[in-house]
Amino acid sequence: MSSDALVLGIETSCDETAVGIVSGRKLLANVISSSVEEHARFGGVIPEIASRAHLEAMQSVIKQALKDANVSLKDIDALAVTAGPGLIGALIVGTSAAEGLALGLGKPLYGVNHLSAHIAVDSLDSDHKLDPCIALLVSGGHSSILQVNDLTSDVKTLGSTVDDAAGEAFDKVARILGLPFPGGPWIDKESANGNPTALTFPRSFTLPKDLEKHQYDFSFSGVKTAVARLMENTPSQNRADVAASFQEAVVDVLLIKSLAAAKNSGIEHLIIAGGVAANSRLRQLAQERCDLAKINLRIPPTKLCTDNGAMVAALGSLAVAAGLPPSATGLSAESSSGISRPIWA
Amino acid sequence: MSTTLVIDSSTNKTIVALVSDGKLLFSASHDDPLAHGEVLPKLVAKALSVSNEIESVVVGMGPGPFTGLRAGIAFAQSFAFARDLNLVGVCGLDAIAAGKSDPEFLISVDARRKEVFYARYKDGARIGEPGVAQPITLAPFNLPIYGDQTNDFPDPLAMAALAKTKSHTEKPIYIRRPDAQPLPAGVKFRALTQLDLVEIFAIEKAAYGKEAWSMAQLKEEIAGKERFYLIAEVDQKVVGYGGAVKLADICDVLTLTVDESHRRKGIGRELLRRVLDWTRNQDCDAVMLEVRVGNEEAMPLYSSFGFIEISRRANYYGPGKTAIVMRKELR
Ligand SMILES: [Zn+2]
Repeated sequence: MSSDALVLGIETSCDETAVGIVSGRKLLANVISSSVEEHARFGGVIPEIASRAHLEAMQSVIKQALKDANVSLKDIDALAVTAGPGLIGALIVGTSAAEGLALGLGKPLYGVNHLSAHIAVDSLDSDHKLDPCIALLVSGGHSSILQVNDLTSDVKTLGSTVDDAAGEAFDKVARILGLPFPGGPWIDKESANGNPTALTFPRSFTLPKDLEKHQYDFSFSGVKTAVARLMENTPSQNRADVAASFQEAVVDVLLIKSLAAAKNSGIEHLIIAGGVAANSRLRQLAQERCDLAKINLRIPPTKLCTDNGAMVAALGSLAVAAGLPPSATGLSAESSSGISRPIWA
Repeated sequence: MSTTLVIDSSTNKTIVALVSDGKLLFSASHDDPLAHGEVLPKLVAKALSVSNEIESVVVGMGPGPFTGLRAGIAFAQSFAFARDLNLVGVCGLDAIAAGKSDPEFLISVDARRKEVFYARYKDGARIGEPGVAQPITLAPFNLPIYGDQTNDFPDPLAMAALAKTKSHTEKPIYIRRPDAQPLPAGVKFRALTQLDLVEIFAIEKAAYGKEAWSMAQLKEEIAGKERFYLIAEVDQKVVGYGGAVKLADICDVLTLTVDESHRRKGIGRELLRRVLDWTRNQDCDAVMLEVRVGNEEAMPLYSSFGFIEISRRANYYGPGKTAIVMRKELR
């Protein structure tokens, strides 16, 4: 297979049914069908609703991606699919659909790690060196700091959240403040009119005594509870100030830890990926602090930061280019797989 | 000669077969309720090594446990699309019924949560749509019951034959109804008062051991505002209690506990029903609750009131003790 292999990637780990197509490192199609509006009624993702929606949308999303890429299914060189981590019932719809395509076409299939795939989008439409790098992965489902020595074979988790994901904390605080779901974009918007220093919220695991055990870990339940208490006791608080101060606390901790990881590992590249990477304050403060620390910061375009199929195709394509063998037929999807293996054996 | 690939994942068995002119070219199955996704591609790969010339695909559309069912359908749809083949979905229960000659009988398969999917057949035809029920409710039909319990599974030859008739189904057959139960007899329900604390504390201690609320916590808890607590009494003795709190726009069911010797009588169900009645008048969006992993026997009760699992929280009840978070909409 040539290094510009045509790879189709399928992503169904949460509530987006997504298919992307890449040729080597070039992005050709990125189609997403989201059940987020259905989930908005519940204020969170409901696994059974997500799985049903994946099956309903799958075939039309695949067809639309082929149409957008202007390629025929027969031209596809390899397939890739998210095999974990994620909601198990949702993952299985994706892996089963991908296996059906692979056996139907007689083409190789790569089961890929969703977290690594989030970082792999950084390869698209550019030819810069990808690794080593430190990656801050923040979304509704994950909050991790990863050390990426080699994107397709050697990624390790330096730290992750011990309770809520950062995106979840945004969702919950939005709920407390009476803002809609998903909370991230609304907190961002509300914060624009608020004073980020009006209130001081806890920054968990940043004190010296916590750093010993949780140097790169996060905890967002404290800040969430602090907001809830505050609003319970003084409901008349200026909502924009609360949003801005909460956002400042979360962003501050994310960056303190990411930059420490870069400094301590001697790695000079930081990637921020995941849905929360769209947060305007995170982008602004990350740039300021990376400039000061002389760290090269990269943040993929927003539409590639949230869950999508292009990231899965991108990692599959990197695996093909690296000459890795495809995964064995009969992928076992894993809901809580860490990142010990970027590509399934 | 035209070869049909037949797939069914609606029971604990993953079934793959090749059918050609009414005969089996290949047939394989694997019994594992949690591995349809992994097993199916392997079985299909085996089938393809027997014959790679497939002209159509037939898949079982259920009813069956959802995750396994969807694995089969998602695979079949993609395979058919990849090869530009015709795909037909059939009802799995019909494919079990096809081999039976009794004038009237039931087909039932495991639906998890102590329920079964079932359908009734008379003179070779299904009567009405498949349903879901507790196995005990099928007994009054007084008919022979076939299915996974009698080791009868969807027959690939029958599936291929059904695909040629008009009884097709385009969509997965998902069925579930909430179950209702009669009120427990001889049990009184009333609001909780400070005077009940001693009895409640004893039940709490017996039920939760080290993780039980202390007397002081209980006292503080029931005195809090925007709360609703009630107890169940048998012969003027407290046998259970439940309560909820209103937090902003969400109500939270804080506890639902029934004394060991009075469980499985519907007392918990009635306590929960009354607690939920209270939450309905609190102008909230939803009710949430947490279930300890290991206490999943409580989940069918919550599910039957419309609670849906929305997430799991690791270490919620202490190290290694995960909580399942469930939610029910009020609006
Ligand atoms: Zn993600």
